[in-house]
Amino acid sequence: MKSLMYFAAVEFPDDPNVAGRKYWYGCPFEDAEPGDEVLAPLGRHNNLQRGVIREVRFSKDYEAPYPVYIIKYIKDIVKKQGACSMYKIIEKRELNPTVTMMDIYAPLVARKAEPGQFIILRVDDEGERIPLTVAGYNRKAGTVKIIFQVVGATTMKLNEKNEGDCIADFCGPLGCATETEGLKKVCIVGGGVGCAIALPVAQKLHELGCEVHSVIGFRNKDLVILEDEFAACSDKLTIMTDDGSYGRGGVVTEPLKEALASGEAYDKIIAIGPLVMMKFVVATAKPFGVPVTVSMNPIMIDGTGMCGGCRLTVGGKTKFACVDGPDFDGYEVDFDEAMERGRMYSAFESHAREEECNLFKKEVK
Amino acid sequence: MAIEPKKHPMPVQDPKVRAHNFDEVALGYDEKTAVAEALRCLNCKNKPCVQGCPVNIDIPDFISKVKESKFEEAYEIISKSSSLPAVCGRVCPQETQCEQKCTLGIKFEPVGIGRLERFVADYHNTYFKGITAVPVSNGHKVAVVGSGPSGLTCAGDLAKKGYRVTVFEALHLAGGVLVYGIPEFRLPKSIVKKETDALKEYGVDIQTDVVIGKTLTVDELFEMGYEAVFIGSGAGLPKFMGIPGESLKGVYSANEFLTRNNLMKAYRNDSATPIMHAKRVAVVGGGNVAMDAARTALRLGAESVHIIYRRSMEEIPARREEVEHAEEEGIIFDILRNPVEILGYHNPENKRDEKNGFVTGIKVIKCELGEPDEQGRRRPVEIPGSEYVIDVDCVIMSIGTSPNPLIKSTTKGLEVNRRGGIIVEEQTGKTSKDGVYAGGDAVTGAATVILAMGAGKTAAKAIDEYIMSR
Repeated sequence: MKSLMYFAAVEFPDDPNVAGRKYWYGCPFEDAEPGDEVLAPLGRHNNLQRGVIREVRFSKDYEAPYPVYIIKYIKDIVKKQGACSMYKIIEKRELNPTVTMMDIYAPLVARKAEPGQFIILRVDDEGERIPLTVAGYNRKAGTVKIIFQVVGATTMKLNEKNEGDCIADFCGPLGCATETEGLKKVCIVGGGVGCAIALPVAQKLHELGCEVHSVIGFRNKDLVILEDEFAACSDKLTIMTDDGSYGRGGVVTEPLKEALASGEAYDKIIAIGPLVMMKFVVATAKPFGVPVTVSMNPIMIDGTGMCGGCRLTVGGKTKFACVDGPDFDGYEVDFDEAMERGRMYSAFESHAREEECNLFKKEVK
Repeated sequence: MAIEPKKHPMPVQDPKVRAHNFDEVALGYDEKTAVAEALRCLNCKNKPCVQGCPVNIDIPDFISKVKESKFEEAYEIISKSSSLPAVCGRVCPQETQCEQKCTLGIKFEPVGIGRLERFVADYHNTYFKGITAVPVSNGHKVAVVGSGPSGLTCAGDLAKKGYRVTVFEALHLAGGVLVYGIPEFRLPKSIVKKETDALKEYGVDIQTDVVIGKTLTVDELFEMGYEAVFIGSGAGLPKFMGIPGESLKGVYSANEFLTRNNLMKAYRNDSATPIMHAKRVAVVGGGNVAMDAARTALRLGAESVHIIYRRSMEEIPARREEVEHAEEEGIIFDILRNPVEILGYHNPENKRDEKNGFVTGIKVIKCELGEPDEQGRRRPVEIPGSEYVIDVDCVIMSIGTSPNPLIKSTTKGLEVNRRGGIIVEEQTGKTSKDGVYAGGDAVTGAATVILAMGAGKTAAKAIDEYIMSR
């Protein structure tokens, strides 16, 4: 007996009696996608009618969208919807000029994703595989939120996609989830686009009843993201900008140091952001002996523990961020080495950017 | 008619030309040569070659069809036993399998069985225009984890028996090591695609981007109605030596170097995935993967490529043809050498020097062969004081892999051995968990394509018996 299966919401546009309504069916076809045309039994007489799948859900029988003991099953897929794959961009929003948020339809990933885990995506069939940390998920709607900074050729290409477009691959959730169990009071330190990854961790801790203090830092006012979201899940929120154009001026370690010095008893500090920021958070926390978890985001290819490109030195041992991480004990990580390795392809990336710019120039002519 | 003492030579691209392109090295027999080579087969009664084949292809039978120029019939005979003939004809170590057992080989060179298999498969792929007969479904569902050689074989065999098979692949492309590991010049990816497409025609459903152990667990596959699961997830994390300098920029694992190049096509100018085009390269290790990495580095434009191997040419584990091809192309074999340190650039004056942290050389120590170890291979013994430095700007570590931890850490009741390999019954591939079977590198650690296929085949038979007996 199946207890875990696909369900599909089907619309029958050809039948005037039910047009505009959606009905949930059991779906025995694992490759069913929204947009597929199917044959399904409809009405009292169970006449087979042609309909279109509008939504696919993957869940346990007790979470089924319609009681499983009376649900009907799709008979057949008549027409695959073709070009567009599963991974549709449901929502796209620019958080600031260089940071974009997207909700991607990927029900299998959404079902399992936890804060701290990451996904690997490819924009198109010729594209590079890049890791992005999960910035949120909606299990019911089957979407996973990603937030990315436009820095290289691939993120540039991803940013050109709009709502309704699809991306070629979206694989996950990978890596280990951030450990949240048993924490009573935590300081979340986020830097720049790293705040996007820190947010779901803060939200989860908040839900679990943990006292959350957040310190988030940005270069200037224009780059501040997710302020409202952090405010909603933090018991105390400090916003820092390097140039003082918003919130408090300075770097994130300043308020952290003050809090620690004033005797705030954090069980843990979770730092997510640029390597150099995480390095200094560790240095700040060390005299107070508070444990620090950092989230590493090294260069990756497969993300499943096969290539070894994401290796780091942690506690003198070689570790792989994709299967052992991405979270590590901040005191053990060799940050200098990680920073060095992160620059391996910087020449290649800047070359890609230049090429893009030259193309633009040509078009302008 | 007197027997030709030697195999008909395999036409190959000129070494000087091929060292700079990614086209296939061996070009394959034409029809005339294939028939002439087939005629060398004595068609012996006891068929020793069949015993040498891990998937027991009826070799003399298919060769006698080649003799009669009935190539399509020959293909049918091979495909009864092998799901991936075009692949095996290219990458199997025939010299230690079927061809080693060949009766002709006692006095002369053995029949070129691998070359004939490749010819027959290529002939079929080029000329066959018919429709594959899809077997009638028996209503049972089986899940296969991993679309490498063992998974595809298991899936193919079960699909031919009427099972509805779904293959789950973590990467975006089916083929496993055949697409990310073995380079284009040894196994063109178009051939792998043809073989996987052929399986799809048999009704096998291949789901990419699904990581079993993460996206779905093995237990969830059972909950989804699959009656049995075959795990062919392959080898996992690359091993490193633990010597200083392994984290320098320019040090790759062979897996990373080959994945960037083969799966992500980094050798092409239009690829979005970067790779280092190093001038002087050292590859550590002596297996097939090391040969592949070395020859790939050469084709990416390296001026010199060293293979650093701690034993002698006698013990080198790579397929003989690959070693020969590598030598012809100008790869330097530094045998009886063991790396002790990788050296990097460091400018104390300028911390922002762009060259900081990049590899500049590899320090190796000379070895001599000592007493044989447990496996009978002579152990390399380092000669004290014999260290010297080879100037290189890229080091590729190709010293093996350890099994991927994702499945064992998320599957209750699945026992693994000390090295992390899944424990199975050898005759059936059955694991300690009911309904779960395994095979290939996930069980044995790094081995060959054909051994993995043999394991997939064994498991398919056992899965069929298991489901039918329920």
